[in-house]
Amino acid sequence: MMEVKNITKNFGTVRALSNVSFELEKGRILGLVGDNGAGKSTLLKILSGDLQPTSGEIYLEGRRIRFKSTADAMKIGIAIAYQFLELVDSARVWENFFMGRELTKRIGPLVFLDIERMKHSTAKAVAKYGPELDVEREVGELSGEQRQIIAVTRAIEANPEILLLDESFTLLSLEGRKEIVNFLKKVNRKSDLTMVIVSHDLDLVKELSHYIMVLRGGEKKFFGRTDEISIDDIVRYMLP
Amino acid sequence: MKSARYLLGAVRFNVVEYYTWFLFIGIYLATGIFVPTIFTSATVSNVLVQGTTVCLLSIGMTFVMLVGEIDLSIVAAAAFAPIMGIISWEVGFPVPVAILLTLVIGAVIGFFNGLMITKLKIPSLVQTVAMWWMLGGIVLIITRGEAKTGLPDAWMLLGRVFIGPIPLLVFFFILVVIVAIIFARRTVTGRRLYLVGGNREACGAMGIPVDRIRIISFMISGFFGALAGYVLSARMGFVSSRFAVEWLMPAIAAPVIAGVSLTGGRGNFLNVIAGAYLVQLIVMVVRAGGVGGYFTEFVQGLLVFIAILVNAGRQRVTGR
Repeated sequence: MMEVKNITKNFGTVRALSNVSFELEKGRILGLVGDNGAGKSTLLKILSGDLQPTSGEIYLEGRRIRFKSTADAMKIGIAIAYQFLELVDSARVWENFFMGRELTKRIGPLVFLDIERMKHSTAKAVAKYGPELDVEREVGELSGEQRQIIAVTRAIEANPEILLLDESFTLLSLEGRKEIVNFLKKVNRKSDLTMVIVSHDLDLVKELSHYIMVLRGGEKKFFGRTDEISIDDIVRYMLP
Repeated sequence: MKSARYLLGAVRFNVVEYYTWFLFIGIYLATGIFVPTIFTSATVSNVLVQGTTVCLLSIGMTFVMLVGEIDLSIVAAAAFAPIMGIISWEVGFPVPVAILLTLVIGAVIGFFNGLMITKLKIPSLVQTVAMWWMLGGIVLIITRGEAKTGLPDAWMLLGRVFIGPIPLLVFFFILVVIVAIIFARRTVTGRRLYLVGGNREACGAMGIPVDRIRIISFMISGFFGALAGYVLSARMGFVSSRFAVEWLMPAIAAPVIAGVSLTGGRGNFLNVIAGAYLVQLIVMVVRAGGVGGYFTEFVQGLLVFIAILVNAGRQRVTGR
């Protein structure tokens, strides 16, 4: 269970978020929607430790959590997958998968990369939820959904409690969208992972998430079960 | 045995990947039609030995290009570091220490460059030009414009000892190349150079210490600059204020011909060797081929330009 209580964020004199609260049970998916500037990215950044709230609290399983950085948040069990920001196009799939936490082996007194083991682990991790993928390919050659699958699979490798996904689906084809929805549903089902997804794609959010929250001008306008609200109503909440 | 195979797997052969070698060998054979003397063993040995300077500078340059930077001070390090090394010998340090000191000075120059570039956010082009200028000036003050001669024999061991017909220098050079390639492809830091060059923000987000990696790349280029200067002085028997400066353009052109990306993230060291020897060949052939006096440099530059165009065409076709 994740509880967010009265989160407010000011940037100077501008109030980006105003008293936003919600609760999310473990293993549920929350779709966060709103127009540009509604505050959804700000909220996601606060949840990921990228920004500090001006006031308000976050609880995880009843325990108050605080973090100063994304690295802190990761330690507590919150992982984030930004869209394309975090992949290196000119590097191969397995390199991207293990960047920053490379596997090594000793040869004599020296430490070298254990490339075989990294390739093997990457292939295994990707195959767990998604379609098979040649881990030797450069990420820049892959499709949007394949890249997304890599970023998400990498983010959940550390067995996080909560996965935050930001604006991840805007550049996908129709088939790609379907693939991603299936993939994320599978991830959610198999690992009982709580997810918060920010997207402009309302159809996708409706299809994927259990709950929907609509933000407008930094305020919560709607929070409820996905099957209780139609897309037309979501749009009505989004518009001033 | 398995580990040896693993490390040497770093130099696996692939025709498309190593096109620079075909370009080099093709041009070598083609020019042989006009200048048959380049097939004689004396010339081959000569090119092989002379090319080590460009190669070492190019390797150093490639390491900074991998992270998307450039190091113009590399040729200043090639003069400054050996001169300081020799001075340390003159004041009483043993030769091995003096050589070691030379290499350390190269790395320290790079460290300082890297510090300025990462912490004060000075563009590498600006920082390394200033460093080049300053170090060149210091060398001029020390040498008063004259070549520093009378180097100790032990210092010149690498350039003067032969194993059979092949100079010791060539074996040493091959060893250095192998170590550089294994470092780049099989170590954590080496691979991270490519990753940081490919997408700095992504690396930061994934916990890679980006600034440290960038500083290391400059330390390596400084080290290779000093090494190139040492090797050149061991071969020539002197150090001068104009040392290695003529090799700055080739040291930039060679990686570019070899397809090393100027924006970072891509670069194959074996190709860089071929690129460096290609530039060396062009410079030599134009001289030996009797291109008269004032035209030499223009023709050299033109040929290098054509080689760069060929590479640009290849990149368009393969998309890398």
